[in-house]
This record gives sequence, C-alpha cells and structure tokens, in this order.
Amino acid sequence: MKMGDVAALDLISDLPQSIIEIIFTYLPIRDAVRTSMLSTKWRYRWATLTELVFDGTCVTLCNDRALVEKSIVNFITRTLFLHQGPIHKFQLSTTYLQCCPDIDQWLLFLSRNDIKELILELGEGEWFRVPSCLFNCKKLTRLELHRCEFDPPPNFKGFSSLRSLNLHQVLVAPEAIESLISSCPALESLSLTYSDSLDLNINAPNLKYLYLEGEFKDVCLENTPLLVEISVAMYMTDDIAEHFEQSSSCNFIKFLGGVPLLNKLVGYIYFTKYLSIGADPGRLPITYSQLKIIELHQVSFEDMKEIMVVIRLITNSPILTELKVSGSSNSLAATEEEYDLDLWEKECPSDCSFNHLKFVKMTDIAGVPHEMELIKFLLKNSPVLETMSITPCVFLKDRKLSMLIELVRFRRASDQAEIVFVQN
Amino acid sequence: MSELNMAVIKPEMMKSYIWIETADGSLQQVEQEVAMFCPLICHEVIQKGMGSSKNHAISLPQRVNPAMLSLMLDYCRFHQVPGHSNKERKSFDEKFIRMDTKRLCELTSAADSLQLKPLVDLTSRALARIIEGKTPEEIREIFHLPDDLTEEEKLEPLKNITDDPRIRLLNRLYAKKRKELKERERIKNVEAEEERVDDRSVDDLLSFINGEDSKGIKPSKNKKKNRRKKDQQKNTSPSEVIEINEQSNGLKVSDLGETSEKQDVTDEMFASKPEFDDGDVDDEIDPALKEKIDREVEDFARRLNSDWPERMQEILSFGQDMKVQHHSSNGNGTIKKYSDNQIRSRNNYYPSNWPYGWNNFDRMLMQSV
Repeated sequence: MKMGDVAALDLISDLPQSIIEIIFTYLPIRDAVRTSMLSTKWRYRWATLTELVFDGTCVTLCNDRALVEKSIVNFITRTLFLHQGPIHKFQLSTTYLQCCPDIDQWLLFLSRNDIKELILELGEGEWFRVPSCLFNCKKLTRLELHRCEFDPPPNFKGFSSLRSLNLHQVLVAPEAIESLISSCPALESLSLTYSDSLDLNINAPNLKYLYLEGEFKDVCLENTPLLVEISVAMYMTDDIAEHFEQSSSCNFIKFLGGVPLLNKLVGYIYFTKYLSIGADPGRLPITYSQLKIIELHQVSFEDMKEIMVVIRLITNSPILTELKVSGSSNSLAATEEEYDLDLWEKECPSDCSFNHLKFVKMTDIAGVPHEMELIKFLLKNSPVLETMSITPCVFLKDRKLSMLIELVRFRRASDQAEIVFVQN
Repeated sequence: MSELNMAVIKPEMMKSYIWIETADGSLQQVEQEVAMFCPLICHEVIQKGMGSSKNHAISLPQRVNPAMLSLMLDYCRFHQVPGHSNKERKSFDEKFIRMDTKRLCELTSAADSLQLKPLVDLTSRALARIIEGKTPEEIREIFHLPDDLTEEEKLEPLKNITDDPRIRLLNRLYAKKRKELKERERIKNVEAEEERVDDRSVDDLLSFINGEDSKGIKPSKNKKKNRRKKDQQKNTSPSEVIEINEQSNGLKVSDLGETSEKQDVTDEMFASKPEFDDGDVDDEIDPALKEKIDREVEDFARRLNSDWPERMQEILSFGQDMKVQHHSSNGNGTIKKYSDNQIRSRNNYYPSNWPYGWNNFDRMLMQSV
C-alpha cells in the first residue's frame, strides 16, 4: 500500500515551505542551489533563502588559486543575481578571496536588500577596504569583519539596530571605534580583537557581552551598566607598560567600577596586572551581587598588587560559584624575599565566607607562598566546596612533594571537599 | 495499613493523562507531562481545556498518524526529563533519527504540525544531510521526485557549478542521449503507422530539394565527420541531423520534422547517404571552395548545436501534434495552417545572422509533414 506504487509518491516536495527553508539553511549553499535541478517544484525554490553563507565549499578546489578565486566570485555573483527577495544574512568566509572589487558590488547589492547580518572573513594579504555602502545598511543587526579596513564616513550616524559587533584584525582609527560604539544604542555584544593600541572609552548602555583581545592602552567602561559577561586578554608592549607606570587613575575602578550585573569575568595574560595598576581602591564601593564565575589567568603571585586584585574580587562576590586561577610562569624564580603573609589577615574580612563556592581550579601553581595562602584561605572559608583541583606548574619537579605536604595540613570548611592534585 | 496502601497508590494516581485522537479516529491516553512538551497540545489543554476525557479528546492535525505520534511521544518522553545532560540528549537524538527517508519526511511533517520545533530542526538537519553532496539523480531517487524538467531547463549553464565547458558539453550529450532513448520508446509505439507517411514525404522532399539545390553546401568532410560521430554517439540524432541538414541534398533535412518519430528512418537515410552524395560532391565544387564551405558548415553545426535543445523541444512537440492532426483530418488545409503558426514561432529561434535559406527549408518541412 505504501511503497511499490507505480507512481511512488513524492516524499518531500509537499512539505511546508517553512520546513524546506529550514532544510536549506542546513545545506551548504552549493547543494541548495543545485536543488533547482531536481524537479519543477524545486525549481528556484532556494532563491528565496534569506540566509546565504559562502565559504570554501562553494566550488571545487584545486591548486590554481587564481582559478578558485575566479570561480568563487562567479558563483557568488550568479547566486546573488538569481536570488529573489530580501537577504537577511550574508556570510563570506574564505581565505581565497582578499581584496576584490566584486565584494564591493556584492555589498552594494546587499545594502539595497535589507541586509541584517553581515559577516566578512577574508584571507590574509591585502586587507579589504570596506566600501561606504556598508554604512548605508540601515537594518544591520550584526556585523562581523575580519581583516578589513574600516573607515566610517564623517557624517555617519551609526547603526541604530546593531546588536552585535565583532571586529577582528580590523584597521580602524580609535576615535572611529569609540564613536561607532556610542552611536549604536542597541549594541549588546561587542568583540574587538587584535585592533592594536586602542584607547577605549566604552559607552554602550545596552551592552551585555564584552570580549576584548589585543594590546590596549587604556580601557574605560564608562557606561555599561547592563554588562553581564566580560572576557579580556590583554597583551602588553613596552610602551604600554611605560604608559601604565605613569598612570595615576585606578584601573580597577575604571574597568570594573560600573558593572553591577556582572555574571562572569574572564581575564588572560596581563589583565590582572592591568587591573592592579593605579591607586589602591581600598574597600570596594560596589558588590558584584551576580558574579558567579571568575577566571583569572596568568596572575603573578609575587606581585602584591595583583594578589590584592584577586582578593578584592573574590571577597566582593557573595554568590561566587566557580573560581579558576592560574599562576604566571614568572613565579618560578623562588626568591628568598619576605612574604607579607599578614596581608591575608589584614585585607580579608574575618567573617568572609564563600557560601556558594563549589569549584575551584588552580593551574600552573608553583608553590609560591601566596599561592598556598590563597588555597588555604579558600579551603578555610568555603563551606559548600566540592572540588579543589590543583595542577602544578610543569617545570616544578622537586617542590611538588613539599607543596603536597603543605596542602594536606590545610583546614577545610566543607566536609565534601575533594582536593584533586593533577599529575601531568 | 490502609494508609500505607494509599501511600503506595498515590503516585500512580497523581499522574494525569490526556486523551488524544489522531486523524484516523483512534483514541489514546498519553501522560500529561509528556504530551505537554508539544506546544500545540499544550495550547489545547491550557487555552481550551481539552483532553480531559474521551469525549473531549484533543484531535490532532491530519499529518499526524498513530505511528508518528508514538515516535514523537518517545522523543518528548526523553527530552522533557530535565535531568539529562547535553551529551545524553545529543546521543539520543542521533539514534532517534535513524530511520528510513519516508518516515523521516513524515515525522518532519508531523512535528511541524504539532509545532515541536526542536524535533523539526532535528529532522530537517537529517534530511539536509541526506541531500548534501548527492547528484540530482540520486536525490530524485531517494525522494521519488518526478523528473519533469525539460532538457533546456536542466542544461541552463548557471546550474553548472564547476563552470567547465567540457562538463557543460557532457551534460548536453547526456541530455540528448536521454532524449533519444525516450524518443525511441515513443517511436516504437507508433512505428507502423508512420512509415507510410514518411515515404511519401521523403519523396516529395527529395524532388523539391533537388530543385532547390542552391547553397552548394556539400561537404565531403562533414560526411566523414558524420560517420565518425555516428559511430561515437549512435544515439545522438540531433548532431546527425545537423550534419544531415547541411547537405544540400538534404535527404535528412526531410527527416527534421519526422526525426522525433522515426529514428530508424533517419538511420536508413544516413546509411544511404554516402552513395547518394558522393557523385554530386565530387563533380561540382572545387577543393578550395569546398574547404571554405566545410568551415562554414562546421561553425553552423556548432551554432545549431547550442540552440538545438530548444529546437528539439519545439520540433518534438510540434511533431507529435502534427501526427495527431494528420490522422484526424484528411485534407491538407488544417496541416498547412498549423505549419504557418509553427513557422512563425520557430522563426523566433533564428538568430539574425543565419543564412536566409534556412527559413525556406523549415517551411518546406512543415508543409511536407
């Protein structure tokens, strides 16, 4: 009854158009375009797709780079030409294309077609200079550029609907970025990577997610009250370090002073150092009442100021649940300095208790006194701790045993706490 | 003791069931929390208060048959439990969608009608995985799609992703082959009645053509080419016919109109051509002119080739109609009228730089059939 009919029923063509569109979004664009050849019902059915994603799989690859580039350009141009209706998402991610005049034309076409999401990920080599028609895309909600030159015209008023901005290795003037950010009131997610030596004042009242990576001279979160997640990887060059020496403002407050809703904070490389620069904030004026996850990597436990940053953060986060700290390899040089271990008693409130802290992970631990103090402090004051995982630094050979001996002595507030010493 | 019993029984009684009716009329009870995972059922229960009893069973849309319903309930039963990790859910999903294509399509349709979006996404992704990377023929076979595009549409160069002219040519040849096979089938069905018609028209044409022998296009080279081509692609009659056309002794020209029906006759004609032509060719044209003409004709052939699929369509559809017409009416009047219309439309295909003589041939063809 079901199978074996002479005219076997078409299984798929009569599914609702909404489902066919979902299927198309899961198909690479090349296969989607080829469905035009299946039958009359499928003819140009793909042409109303609102999401077009072009990457290296569009064309058959071969060793001749110029040929591949030509065929990609050909394919995209033809697809756009055959396409009907609005295009909401356009993604071009291929290393075969670099600076190419056709891209300008495509962007012009898209700017006339209500483009909402634009992702351009081009190859190394000459960076593509974004044409001015991009700034006419009024409905843009998401913009992602890799390896481009970005230069807004002077009368540019911003993208009023832009919610997500991601600039990776983009050549842009610092003032341009600042004004772009402040002229996009709906901005919720901002990611700036490898845009060098930026001096940023971020004014984004709706910003929720901030991701920064690169060399920054100065970052000030001027107006970001709704920020929920921050992730910063801060690199440092000598001039920036010098600049820091001379700065007098308190970086900690400048950066973390206005983010009461912060939920997750992640810092890499020199972030903790950056926060430590400037005047000591003393008892912090704000409490991070939503902060659940803190990850600070490459913390130098020989720098008192950095340790203070860590202490201040964790003691001002009442619902902290997860903590990850990794030491800096600079700590290897175990000097005979006097360690001011009283610091811990002085700065931490005696009734400090991490009532929600469940997971702690310490990596690259060299056994430096302050590291051990931190572990001791956490163990003593975390009544619901479940796991404390410690991974010693790879270069550490002879001190492992003494570290372990010390660890074993520490008092634990939580009877469920497991100390996991990770062997490499 | 009775309290103990109560304590044991209570959990069972706490579970509430919803009555569901599928399109075929069969009723079943489903655990409430499982069924409520489907937005449509949820809506019916909450907004309309349905499903509490047999009489007020929630009737499901037509696309949901009992088999699909039970599959979907399995899905809901697993996923509505909050305790599963993402990994567990993923592996369940992977196993869940392992089914034949027909059921997958039905399931997609059913999930969509119940607005169960996660399942729609899952099945759509599975269908996309099936389609991905396959040739159109394979896809058509899997999903039982009708192969109802015209050759012309299939050959549209824009669909040729690799843009390689050789592949384009190959596609065209395959298309022609397919067409030929189809036509051979059709011919076999009506062969008997056609022969008589053919002979008559051929004779007429022959006499006409011999008098019309003005172009002087008698390439002997082409003959050889034809023979070679014939050996290579025995089924590709259009190329044969084109070469044939170029012969001003166009025996084969007459076959243009009938090609659709009589491949056999064409072949016969072709076979007899060498003897027929040799005499004419050697006598009348000097070698230099012959070569020039050969080249012209080759160009011609190529041009014709590129337009051939459309013309074939026309010819075939026309030819079929003509056949019917011929049988039904005895007089020539109706046929002539037909041919005029046909010529007008067919003339649209002619590029302006074609030699004017072609128009005459066509008209002649139409009249003869």
